Order: sequence, then structure tokens, then C-alpha cells
Amino acid sequence: MNNIAFNIALPLLAAFLLPVIHNGSAKASRLVGPFVLLAMCWFAAAYFIFIEHPVALALGGFLPPLGISFHLDQLSLLMAVIIPLMLLLLWPYTNREGFREEALLLLLAGASSGMALSGDLFNIYVFYELLSVASFGLAASTHNGAAFAATFRYLVISGLGTVLALTGIGLIYTQTGTLNLAHIGQLAAQLDNNVGLAAFALIVLGIGVKAEIFPVNGWVPEVYATAKPRISALLAGLISKLAVLAIVRLLVVAYADTDALSLLLVLGILGIIWGELSAWRAKDLKRMFAFSSIGQLGMVLVAFSIPGEAGMFAGLAMMLHHLLVKPALFMLTENWSGSISSLTGAARQSPLGAALFILFALSLIGVPPFPGFWAKLIMVTGLVGADDSLYLLALGILLTATVIEANYLIRCAIQLYAPADENSSQSAKHGRLTLSISSALGVVLIISLFSITPLGNKLYQIAAEASNRSLYINTTLSNAQVPALRKIQ
Amino acid sequence: MANSILLTILEVILMPLVAFIVGLFMVLMMRKLAAKLQRRVGPPLFQPLYDIVKLYGKQTQISHGLIHDIGIIMAVGGYVAAEALLPVPGMDGIAAKGGLVTLAYLMMVPSLGLALGVGQCANPNGSIGISRALTAMLAYDIPFIIVIFGVAYHFGSTNLVSIIATQQAEGIAGWGISEMPILAIAGLFALHASLGKQPFEIYIAPAEIATGPMVEMGGKFLGGLFVMQTFQLYTASVLYVSLFLGGGENWVTFLIKCFAVLAIPVLIAYLFPRYRTEDLIRLVWKWPVMLALLGVAFVMN
Amino acid sequence: MSMLDTLLLISLLTVLLTGLGQRVTFIGWIATLLLTAQLLTLLLMGKLGYGGEIIDASFGFSILGQPLNWRYDALSWFFALITIGSALAGSAFAAGAWGDQYRKEGGNPGLLQFSIALNVLAMLLLLGSGDLLSLFIGWELVSWASLLLMVIAGGRASEFGMRYIVYATAGAMAVLAGLAIIFQLTGSFAYDDLAAVAPALNTLQIVTLTLLFFFGFGIKMGLLPFHLWQADAYAETPGPGTAFLGAISSRMGLYAILVVIIQLIGLVRLIEIEIPYSFLSLRDLLMWVAAISIIIPTFIALRQSDARRLLAWHGIGQGGYMLIGLLVLDPYGSAGGLMHVFNHATYQAALFLSVSAVIYRTRTSDLNRLGGLVTRMPLSFLVMLIGIIGLAGIPPMNGFVSKWLVYRSLIIEGMPLLFVASVIGTLGTILSVYKLIHNTFLGQLRLEHEHIREVPLSMTIPMLVLSAIVFITGFMPGLVLDWVGSAQVALGMPQLAHTLGGVESTQGSLDMIWVCSVLFGGFAVGALLFYSGNKAKRVHQLDNYAGGHFLTADVRYHYSDNFYAGLMHHIGSWYRGSFLWLESSLISVVSSLSGGAQLLYNSFHPALYLLMAITLSLYFFIG
Repeated sequence: MNNIAFNIALPLLAAFLLPVIHNGSAKASRLVGPFVLLAMCWFAAAYFIFIEHPVALALGGFLPPLGISFHLDQLSLLMAVIIPLMLLLLWPYTNREGFREEALLLLLAGASSGMALSGDLFNIYVFYELLSVASFGLAASTHNGAAFAATFRYLVISGLGTVLALTGIGLIYTQTGTLNLAHIGQLAAQLDNNVGLAAFALIVLGIGVKAEIFPVNGWVPEVYATAKPRISALLAGLISKLAVLAIVRLLVVAYADTDALSLLLVLGILGIIWGELSAWRAKDLKRMFAFSSIGQLGMVLVAFSIPGEAGMFAGLAMMLHHLLVKPALFMLTENWSGSISSLTGAARQSPLGAALFILFALSLIGVPPFPGFWAKLIMVTGLVGADDSLYLLALGILLTATVIEANYLIRCAIQLYAPADENSSQSAKHGRLTLSISSALGVVLIISLFSITPLGNKLYQIAAEASNRSLYINTTLSNAQVPALRKIQ
Repeated sequence: MANSILLTILEVILMPLVAFIVGLFMVLMMRKLAAKLQRRVGPPLFQPLYDIVKLYGKQTQISHGLIHDIGIIMAVGGYVAAEALLPVPGMDGIAAKGGLVTLAYLMMVPSLGLALGVGQCANPNGSIGISRALTAMLAYDIPFIIVIFGVAYHFGSTNLVSIIATQQAEGIAGWGISEMPILAIAGLFALHASLGKQPFEIYIAPAEIATGPMVEMGGKFLGGLFVMQTFQLYTASVLYVSLFLGGGENWVTFLIKCFAVLAIPVLIAYLFPRYRTEDLIRLVWKWPVMLALLGVAFVMN
Repeated sequence: MSMLDTLLLISLLTVLLTGLGQRVTFIGWIATLLLTAQLLTLLLMGKLGYGGEIIDASFGFSILGQPLNWRYDALSWFFALITIGSALAGSAFAAGAWGDQYRKEGGNPGLLQFSIALNVLAMLLLLGSGDLLSLFIGWELVSWASLLLMVIAGGRASEFGMRYIVYATAGAMAVLAGLAIIFQLTGSFAYDDLAAVAPALNTLQIVTLTLLFFFGFGIKMGLLPFHLWQADAYAETPGPGTAFLGAISSRMGLYAILVVIIQLIGLVRLIEIEIPYSFLSLRDLLMWVAAISIIIPTFIALRQSDARRLLAWHGIGQGGYMLIGLLVLDPYGSAGGLMHVFNHATYQAALFLSVSAVIYRTRTSDLNRLGGLVTRMPLSFLVMLIGIIGLAGIPPMNGFVSKWLVYRSLIIEGMPLLFVASVIGTLGTILSVYKLIHNTFLGQLRLEHEHIREVPLSMTIPMLVLSAIVFITGFMPGLVLDWVGSAQVALGMPQLAHTLGGVESTQGSLDMIWVCSVLFGGFAVGALLFYSGNKAKRVHQLDNYAGGHFLTADVRYHYSDNFYAGLMHHIGSWYRGSFLWLESSLISVVSSLSGGAQLLYNSFHPALYLLMAITLSLYFFIG
């Protein structure tokens, strides 16, 4: 059973079976999720470690471009490893309220794995829809009015986005007659016109709802402010990245040399400006992180819009760094909700939490020698290397945004360490689970700090492979395999 | 080698001595001039010396503490040292080892000493006087320093010995005053203000702050200040002579020049009333600074 | 293992031990001991100060294909000496009685020692950087480490620390942008590659790089108009920390400017570049920034009524002398600039420590609440006296020598206005330091200070050692000029020929041994004269002229407030706080912009934006 398709099938199956299992034994049902996620990890990791060059898998017995195809390269497999890992980390181990949330999380796992692995625009769309459904449920799982209102907003805009994305996909189909990404890539010349670019714009903005792209991210602050920290961590850390990756895939295979780059660049710049400025003024920690992640996603988008391997490298570095740091920060907002000014003296109650906050904040700002600095350095050199005035403008905005970011993050840090006063009567202690999740991420951060060079080399290799358009096309169209024919080692 | 060091030491001892004697006569001249203007007879020849001896020998000697004493010592000692940096005919002392800038800053040591001594007296009148005196210093030192720049730049050296030598080599035409007339005027202005004579003696203001810095000074403390004044007159006029009037070819011309230079501000002093500190700043920062900058512009082009 | 490795290892050890031993009562002494060990190790590397071979660290990394190296040359050694020396002074001062009192008041002396040790390590790394990337890493480490030192006092100090870090991050980002441009031009971060490519750069590139780096590094020096953060942030640090920060922290900016702008990009290129519609070259512009950074902060210092702020403002002003001297580019100016780094560190640390001693006894540094302490704390007075003579740049202290070198080069190179500007700075300094010593130590002793005593030995010894250095290096400046000369060579500048007593030149020489001897001879004559007079009688401070009134102990008879009333009457209107206004309006702009940004998320329905965005982007592609 070493087929990567199980990474999608297994969690979906488990999600649907969970009610049944729960009826049988509540205890057993709690074991299902972690077990499935571990299995997913195992499969994906096995592929990731042993894969030598990209592979396309065709499901349903037809070879691409006709069949449903999966594109397995290091990037998609890396995401396939990260998804279950992240979910395992953020799994509701202490949840005793039934199976609903766990089922939704499993659904999310399956759908996101599908999005990461798919080599087909329509499949991506389908998984995206599935992902949306799961995330609505999760966002609303706080069960209070504010959360429902926020989720409703999220639902409406997401729905609109889906329609737009579908329109875009339809336009691409009318232009090229195919929805297989590799095939689209082959016919990319037919997309370098008004209609093709319009299709791209529609897809970017449609899927961009999840990717927190400006200006379709109006749902972000409210949802993150009302959802459980775990869920915010998941949405901001993982789900947004999957949406970005879907856009990047399309960009690489079909729009790499077109105006599409400038669209991403402009949207990214606006995202940085809006996100960081709003975060600067945010009054509570959750909203601050929500806005800050809008800004960070803007940076990721700007990074991806740099042409060539440099852009892919910078984008992945920024993306993975944010994926590591933001969930940890969101986890720390548990018990640190409410206005920032009420956090005075919180460091005394939760010294480890405050120390972790500072660690992640420094990395997020990009203080050397933390990994965030190296990611930023890669991005900065990439931006200068692009040799274009718009990219230099983006550089200026990125650097200015960093100053603003440093301002609001350090302001909070200082607040945490200020001597306590009567405002801070509330308990600011963190739960043990929260602390261990954040610490685990902190350990990963520290480890990556000491292995920057091998990590960087690996990432560069991944980026080179992922940005190689002809490799993508050839892998699918000439070397696709029906899974039964291929065995791993 | 050892000989030249011994010679230098000898000069360093002699120069302040000469300065003191000449300074006494300058004080005498100042008083005589004042008397002439006010139609009095004026003091006898040795009156300044008598005054000093009297002050040092007085019965009542009030000290406000060690710093009060040290302040007076610094005030006198600083000028004694400064004289060793001022070349006179036949003696260069350590002028070549210090130079113009060092001299300018060494001349601040007595002011600082006086300020410390007065501060220790714990009398607000004294402190106010010092505050005014230091402000006045800030005022007149700016044109002074511009003048120094102009001269040093013109002669390409901060060494007073070589500045004097260059002037003397070319006779009157080579004097600073012939080559840099505007700077010379500005310098005279600054010199006058630096002496703290009327109309620039607000920091003493007997009626208002009870003679300011001198309020707690009596006996040998006041005597120290008297000695300091003799040195001050000497230093200011010799410096001016060295910068603009070719220094001293021999003792006769040297002394004539020095006394002549000093006579100008002294005459003005007794003809004009007093300025307020802020008026002083305005006046000194406006005219001498403008003159000095103009002079520098001429020197540099 | 090279000596440099040993040095960095001991420094790391200091950081670790002070970090772990927060609760140990004698942690201060351990830190002092370890810093002494660092100083000894550095002295063992002393050949560097006399033209020895560059010492490489035997470790080195390669991150993302970019090598990171550390090495010490004469310049690094010179700066490192000052760094460790001032840290040692601060640490030793804090180790004994001061630390005990600090602990009693709820402070954590261990944390203070840890922050100092951390700063030292960061600075040693920065000073040893062998390429631009390690320079930037060191730069950021120093920035953030000094934030720690600034905020440990809590309260208002955190606000000032916050302000500092915003400035510092802005500077760092400018540097980062500069580095990225260099990387684009040369494909590496190596010093040699930049130096090799620098002559071929065009004017625009030179100007961009120079301005970016000057802005970035200049912020740490508090150069105008980015000077607002420094004095407050330094002044609120606990005493010994202030001494350390004031002595060396902002000199790191100077070091970076030296390495990147003067050494690598090259001043000669800057002189060639004319600024349109002015008579200035790019170099002149930078010199004027330095000159204005002398004048304005000095006169702001003159107005302070808090001793620590007064000194901190002077720290900014003195930085201007260093920069101006180095930018002149002749052997005299650059030697003066470099020497002033050393001199300033010594007297500034001594001054801050003596102010800390006063605070230790009186609990205040408010210049309107002190006075007359000389009779109670004579040693602290002596330290402050030596310190202010150094700071004001009057013979015989070391501050005079370095300023003399700067003046002299400005005169001979013919820069009248800059010369006048620097002299105005000196004159302002004299006024302001007199106010400092007058309001603290002279005048009337207040009733509540009747019974205080001199501070304990553990505090006086570091102060006195510093003062001794201030005097000795003023008496024999050749001692420091040896090191400075080697540093000049390391920078690729012409070396200053010097003697033990100063410099010898046909255009005007300086022999401090003679000048000081004669000065002290003069004092001896003055003393002789004075003591030959009739013996003076000591009187009580209340036995004083008061226009016929009787003075009693409760009468405040000390002139301290608005000390230079006449001067302020005239220039008071110049203190309009334009820079503060600029800063606060910048904050308001960001604030209202961010208010606008948030509005977008608060008011309308997001779906509307989606449609608008679609329309716009479709227009972008189709229209």
C-alpha cells in the first residue's frame, strides 16, 4: 500500500467513517485521526525521500492529458508531508465534544493533500471547494455569535471567489481545450492574450480568497479573531500557503513570461502595505497577527512574482518560514486575547510563552541569525536581481514594512515584560499543550537556524525543480505512469 | 640636546616673569589713560604692584574651601603657562611645541579655574557672573577663532614662531595687518570683548550682582585675580601683535606695538557704557563674525 | 586555535555564565573577572596595535553559499580595546556596592551584567567581521543587544528603547538594501570584491550606496536628523550600562562607516561627485551633516536639566568630531577622529560613572536638586573635573589632543566654516559641562545631603582608573597614536607620523609633554604665589554675602535653573523642536494611513472589494 493516492483517499474515508466509529467507541474514534495522519506522513515522507526526479501519476487508467493526473515533485511532496505534520501538531487532543471537528480536520487533510498533489486544474478546483467547506466548519466551531458572523462573511466571499475561479478555469478551457496543467503549459502560447490573462486574474482573485490576497481578504481579521487559536494557526499557516501554491503552479507552467507577474507583484505590494499598516494599529494580539499574516502573504506573493528560479526560491523560503512561525504565534494568543494593553506583566505568568513570543517575533522581523533573516535576504537579493524599477519599489516597501513590523511586534514584547498593574488581573498563563506546540515549532526554528546551509541547498534544489516549466510538462506528458506499474524501491 | 632643553626651561621661567612686569605697566597705562579721560592725576608708577602686595598681605582672608583656592591657583597658573607659548623678542619658549590652537585653548584654563573657584563660593551673584562671563566667552571666541583660522591658513602654519618670522621677513608690507586688514579689525574687536572691559563688563555689574565673580573674593583671592588681569592684558596684546603686527623685532618696537594695541580698547572702554549679555552676543556675533568671515574669504581665494 | 578564537570563546563564556548565574550574588565580580580575561587576551593580541599581522578566526561558515569570516586587524583591535575596556569599567563599577543597592531596589544586577556581556560579544563579532554579510549580522546583533540594555530599567526606558529600535531597524533595512545592491553588482559579499568593483561604479550607484549606508550606519551614531532617540535611550539605562553605552555603543556606527564607506567605496570617489546647484561635493555634504551633528546636540545638551541626558546629548555631538576628522582624509584629521573614539570613551565613561556615583548617594540626577557635593564626595568631583576638561577639549586632558588634530587638519586643508562649526561645538560644550559640575558639586550643599559620604572603593577605583587614563593619554598621546597609526594603515589611509608627546611638523607641532609640564609648572607658580599670601580662614557656606540678609540652611542660595539665561534669551527661539515635530508628524502620517487601512477591513462588505478588484485587474489586462 505505498500509493500516494491514499494520502487523499484515506483521510476522506476516515472523515466519513468517523461518525460510525464514534457511535461504536468514542475512544477509538479519537485514535483514528492521529493514526491516519501518521500514515499520511509516512507515505508522503517515503516518496519525498526516495523520489529522484518528478513523477506524474495517472489515476483512473488513462494517461494524461485525458486522465486525472497527480504531479509528484519535491515541492508537492514536501507539502504533502507538512500537511499531516501540521495537523498532528494542531490536532484537538483534548477535545471531548464529539467528533465533528476531528472529521472536519481529516476532510481538510485530504482536500489539502489533493490540492498539493493535483496536476489538473479542475481537480485543484474540486479539492479547493472541499477545503473551503471544511474550513467554514472549523472557523465556526467556536459556537458563538461573532464567530458565526465572521464565518458567514468568509462563506459569502469565498463562494464568490469560487465562482470567479471557476469562470477563470472555464476561460482557460475555452482557450486551450484542456485542464491538465502540463497540457496547458504546452499550449501556453494560446493563453498569452487578453482572455488568457483575464482567466489568470479571475483564478488568482478567486483562489486568493484563501491565500489572503489583497483585497479579497476582508474575512481574515474577524475570522482569526473569533476562531480558536488552533484553527487560526491552521488557516493562516497552512491553508493560505496551499492556495498560494496552486496559483504559483499555474503561473509557472502557463504564465511565467507574461504580465501575470506584474499582477501578482502589485497585489503583493498592496497586501504588504495594507496588512502591515493595519497590524500597526491593531488593538489585540489576534487581529494583529491576522493583519500581519496578510502582510506576510503579500511578501510571499511579491517573492513569487520575481521571475525565474530566484523568485521560486525566495517565495518558498518566505512561505515555509511563515508557515513555521505564524501558527506558533497564533497558538500563543490562547489566553492572551483581549487588548494588547492588558498584557502587561504576562511574561511573569508565562515566561516560556513570552520567550517563545520574542523568538518568533525576532525571526518574523528577520533579525539575523534567525531563519527569517535568511529568507528575507534571499528575497531581497532576488528583488534587486530582477532589475526592474517596480521590483525596487517592492524592495523599498518590503524594508519599510519590516520597520513597521518590528515596531508593533517589539511593542507587544515590551508590554509583556512591563511590570504588571491592575489592568492585568486576568490569567495570562498558557496551557501545557499550547506551550508544547509552540515549543515544538520553536525547536524546529532553532534546528533550522543551525542547518541553514543544507536546508537552503535543498530548498534551492526544490525551487529549481518547481520552476522548471519544461520538466513539469515533460514529466506529465511523456513519462506519466499508471500507478500500478511503478513501485518505490 | 640637554643644552637646548635647559635653555627652553630657562626661557619658560623668564617669559612669565617678563609678562608679569610688562602686564603691571599695562595696568598702570590703563589707569593713567582712564584718569586722563576723567581729568584726574592717576596713580603713581608702582601702584599696581603695591595693590597686589597689599591684597596678598591682608589680615582677613576668607576661603570657601579647597576648590576656591585651587580655582585661583588655576586662574593664575593657566596664564603663567600660556606666556610660555607666546614668543617675545629673543625668546620662543615652547611656542613651536604648542602653536596657535593650543594657546587659544590654554587660555581657557584660567577661565575654567576662575569659574570653579567662584562656583565653590556658593553665592548666586558669583554664579550668575560666571554664567555671563562664559556666555561672553562663547560670544567673542567665535570671531576670535575665525581670525585665528584666517591667519593660520594665510601663513600655512599654526606655529606662531614661523608666522612671526614670515611677517618680519617682508617688513611692514608683510605684516598681517597689511595683508589681512579686515581680519585685523575683526581681531581687534574680539580682543576688546575678551578683555571684559566696558562696554563688555556685564558679568561684573557691581550694582546688579555685586561684582559678580568677585563677590566672595577678598585678600589674596582678589590679588590672584589682579595678577591674572595683568597677564590677560599682556597675553591679548602680544597675541595681537604676533598675528598682525609682525611680532617683535626687538624689545623697543615690540613694547611700543603692544602698548599701542592695548590703548585702543582701553580708550573705547572708558568712552562707552555697558552692554547686556544678550546685546553683547548679538553685537559680537554680527559685526566681528561677518568681518572675520569676509576676511577669511579674502585670504582663501 | 587562534587568539581571536580564544577571545570570542571567553566572551561567549562570559555571556553564558552571566546568563545562567542570574541569582548568584557575586555575579558582578565573575563578570568583571571574565571581562578582565577578555582584556588580557586582547592585550596578548597587542601586536595588532603596532602593525602586526591580521589575525584570522579559525572558524568560519558558509551559509547559502556565502562565506562568513571573522578576522581582526589593527582597526578592529583598537575598537575592541575600547569596547572591552569600557565594559570592564562599567561591570566593575556595578559589581560591588552599586549592584547590592540596585538589587535592593528591585533591579537585577545579574541581568545588567548579562546585557553588558552580550553587548560586548556582539560588538566583538561586528568588529571582527571579514565580509559584508558578517558585518550585517554583527550590526543587527549589536542593535538588538543594546535594546536589551536600554529596556531593562523598565518604565519610560521601554518607551525610549522602543523608539530606538524603530530607528535602528530603519537603519538596518537601509543597510540591507545597500548590501543587496552590492550583491547584485559583485555577486558576493566579500570586501575585496566590493573594493575591486568600486572604482568602476557610476555616479548614481556611488551616491545610492553612500547614502544608504550613511543613513543606516549614521542612525546608530545619532547623526542628524536621526538623533532624537539616542540621549533618552542612553540616559534611562542603569548607571554602569549608560557608561558603557555612552562610551562605545554609537561608535559601532562609525566603525561600519569607516569600513564600508571610507575603506571599501573610497572617499576619493565621494570627493569627485559634485552635488548639482551647490559648491559641495558628496564628501562635503557628509561633513556638514557631521558638523551640524556637533552643534545642535551640543546646544540641546546645554539646555538639559538632567545630568545623564546632558552627557548623553554631548555623546552625539562628540561623534560629529570623529566623523568630521575622518572625512578630511589627511593623516591629521583621520588620526584625530580615530583617537577621539578612544578619548571620548574614557572621559565619557568616567563622567557617567561619576554621575552614577552621585545618583547612588543622592537618588537624583536632576541638576536643580543637587549642589555643593564636592565637600562630601571629593573623589567623584575629581573624576568629573577631569572628565569635563576632557570632554570640553581643554589641555591637559586627552580630549584636547584629538580635537587639536581635527582642528589642525581643518585649518591646513582650508575648511573655515567647518572649523568654526567644530569650535562653536567646543565652546558650547565648555558652557554646558561647567553647568554640570557647578550644579552638582559646587555651590550650596543642600540640607538633605549634609550627611552623605564618598561612594565605596568598589566604585571609586574604576572611576579613578578611567580618569588616570584620561590624563596619561593626554600627557603622552603618543601611546594612543601608535595604535591609531596602525589603524590608519589598516584603513589604507596615510599614517600620522608622531612622537610620544604629539606630532612634529613644520606647519605647527604639538608636544603635550612640554605643554602639560609647563601648565603644571604654571600651577605650581600660582600655588606658590597663593600660599605665600596670608593664611586664609575657612568659613561655612552660609557665611556669605547676601546683600545684608542672614542666610539660614533652609534658604536656597544656589543659582542653577536656567543657568545661561542671557544666552537662552538670544538663542532660545532656535529650539523649536523642529525635529520632534518632524518625528511626530511622521508618526501621525503612519497612524492615519493605518487607520485608513483598517477602515477597509471594518466598513464595507468584502465582496465588494472582490468585484472591484476583478474589474480593475480585467481592465489591467484587457483595457
